[in-house]
Amino acid sequence: MPHGLDELFSARALKRDPDTLAQWGCDWTRSFTVAPSAVVFPESVEEVVALVRLANESAFALVPSGGRTGLSGGAVAGNGEVVVSFDRMNRILDFSEADRLVRCQAGLVTGALQAFAEEKGLYYPVDFASSGSSQIGGNISTNAGGIKVIRYGLTRDWVAGLKVVTGSGEVIDCNQGLVKNATGYDLRHLFVGAEGTLGLVVEAQMRLTRAPAPQQVMVLGVPAFPDILKVLAAFQATLTLSAFEFFSERALTKVLAHRDLQRPLPESVPFYALLEFDEPDMDRAMSVFERTVEEGWVTDGVLSQSEKQAADLWALREGISESIAPYTPYKNDLSVRISLMGEFIEEVDALVAASYPDFEVCWYGHIGDGNLHLNILKPADLDGEAFYERCHAISPKIFEAVRSRNGSISAEHGVGLLKRDFLGFTRSESDLAIMAALKRVFDPNQVMNPGKLLPG
Amino acid sequence: MKVLVPVKRVVDYNVKIRVKPDNSGVDLSNVKMSVNPFCEIAIEEAVRLKEAGTATEVVAVTVGSSASQEQLRTCLALGADRAVLIETDADAQPLGIAKALKALQEKEGAELVIFGKQSIDGDNSQTGQMFAALTGMPQGTFASEVKIADGRIDVTREIDGGLQTVSLKLPAVVTTDLRLNEPRYASLPNIMKAKKKPLDVVTPDELGVDLTPSVEVLSVEPPAERQAGIKVESVEELVDKLKNEAKVIS
Repeated sequence: MPHGLDELFSARALKRDPDTLAQWGCDWTRSFTVAPSAVVFPESVEEVVALVRLANESAFALVPSGGRTGLSGGAVAGNGEVVVSFDRMNRILDFSEADRLVRCQAGLVTGALQAFAEEKGLYYPVDFASSGSSQIGGNISTNAGGIKVIRYGLTRDWVAGLKVVTGSGEVIDCNQGLVKNATGYDLRHLFVGAEGTLGLVVEAQMRLTRAPAPQQVMVLGVPAFPDILKVLAAFQATLTLSAFEFFSERALTKVLAHRDLQRPLPESVPFYALLEFDEPDMDRAMSVFERTVEEGWVTDGVLSQSEKQAADLWALREGISESIAPYTPYKNDLSVRISLMGEFIEEVDALVAASYPDFEVCWYGHIGDGNLHLNILKPADLDGEAFYERCHAISPKIFEAVRSRNGSISAEHGVGLLKRDFLGFTRSESDLAIMAALKRVFDPNQVMNPGKLLPG
Repeated sequence: MKVLVPVKRVVDYNVKIRVKPDNSGVDLSNVKMSVNPFCEIAIEEAVRLKEAGTATEVVAVTVGSSASQEQLRTCLALGADRAVLIETDADAQPLGIAKALKALQEKEGAELVIFGKQSIDGDNSQTGQMFAALTGMPQGTFASEVKIADGRIDVTREIDGGLQTVSLKLPAVVTTDLRLNEPRYASLPNIMKAKKKPLDVVTPDELGVDLTPSVEVLSVEPPAERQAGIKVESVEELVDKLKNEAKVIS
């Protein structure tokens, strides 16, 4: 049991009851041991600094915790660590219209930043299914992507400044909102995607942009997967896409069984593409659609006629993760270059089918970014442990298929505990050695989220 | 049987409304415009009647600016056979709209006219009723179900505390409630076909009606902003605040 916490935190900000430990000690993953020793809810940078110093002195480890929507175990505390929740550091500190910058605390919920931007007539474009609970600090620490990456990039592209408490308890201000700053190493980018292993992000300056035109959502039926890539290329050659997603009929069936939504097309089709674009591009989009039908790539399609229909069409894609949750799927978030996706999917389907023909494989993802979400659903008659054991047995084969195409074993979900031991499939020996050396610079006593991303 | 469906172009129901700084109205720049949701239900019902073989022709009509053609094209894509725009830049109001529609109905001679029960911008819920009064047609408002047989239409209405079914002799007026149906998505092939369907534009003058507004809008105000809530530390503090600050308990 770590000492000294009671002196730093009031009873309101320090919890040790089993419910709090169980809830704040993990993310959306359910397969890791959850065993933190305490959860603290700091309210200021000073409190975070004191906590990190105490952790160094008393030799206990810290696990940062945001909205706990991670899928790789990056926020799981399984070894008596102290969980640092940013739930009470959730304020917007200031806003500058001229700079289009918001300075906020790390615990600000992503959706709250989006709403604030909208109120100011601006736009924060990083968006994904869990934006209602995920926090900016967590978004930064995992370099969150989501559904608008094809147009707006990743969280990294919107971070203009960071205040970080490093693993040794130093406070550093990185970049401070500048656009141009040619003064050497940009430390800010080391903390983006670091999963809390170098320090704790406590404040961020986030960029906003002009609000887009009203959006139109199209769902197209595509019988053959390779044609989805041709459809993507055809649209991108003609207009700016805000999103390009795909899902399989199998994934759609699960969503329709789970939620009260209309089937998008009267006939079922093996694959669907969901596109979003600016309303003024409507006529051009229609002419591209005509071409994709003439080419035989697309059989049918629908277009949203209102924001409600747009939201309903999006729900077909965004509802997948939740709809398949009861099947406790084995999840993998992979990326390869767009041009290699077709053969990659074929190879993985064949790998799974060869070992376990009764396993259902459910594909969906941000195909415009080369990002595929592979989900293998657990058959009802198989118990969880046996299922995961079998899936883990084929993991290396799937990762080998990624490595042979110079892909990534984690496109946007991070590494955490889930992918740590497989990092070598994407990062070289020398990469890993440099990462470990960097970790020693910022966190000499290994108090920051040890065992995540890199071996502890 | 010919079915006439009056529709309206409105700010999309999911858009957060912003009031213009000079309080003269709602800011419509860069805002998503859609078919009024109740009118969309009316179109869907008419198209279903046609698909069931009950209706022979579905005609969508709107009173508004030329931009409203976009919403008429949507109706055509959803299955209407043709559309009529009664073009005006005036801020048309229910009575004027009802008179214009009456003039059109005299030309069209539809046996069934399906309105949305209200449009979500003005929230008046008057046009269908005024139209029924002006034309002397029987009306079944707030419909959650309609059945047509033997020259009559049975309309199930959503009323306080239950449902009421009225039986009307055709020609008749129906206004739709939310539960009547769930509108379909517009299919892309149908959107393309809709471009070739007839869309006639007529002026109020040609119909012999005057759409000059009889009601003048003086000022539009956003709702008062809600004050942020606070968190209290204990039950005692909560009770104290309810008693002494909010004064809701004694």
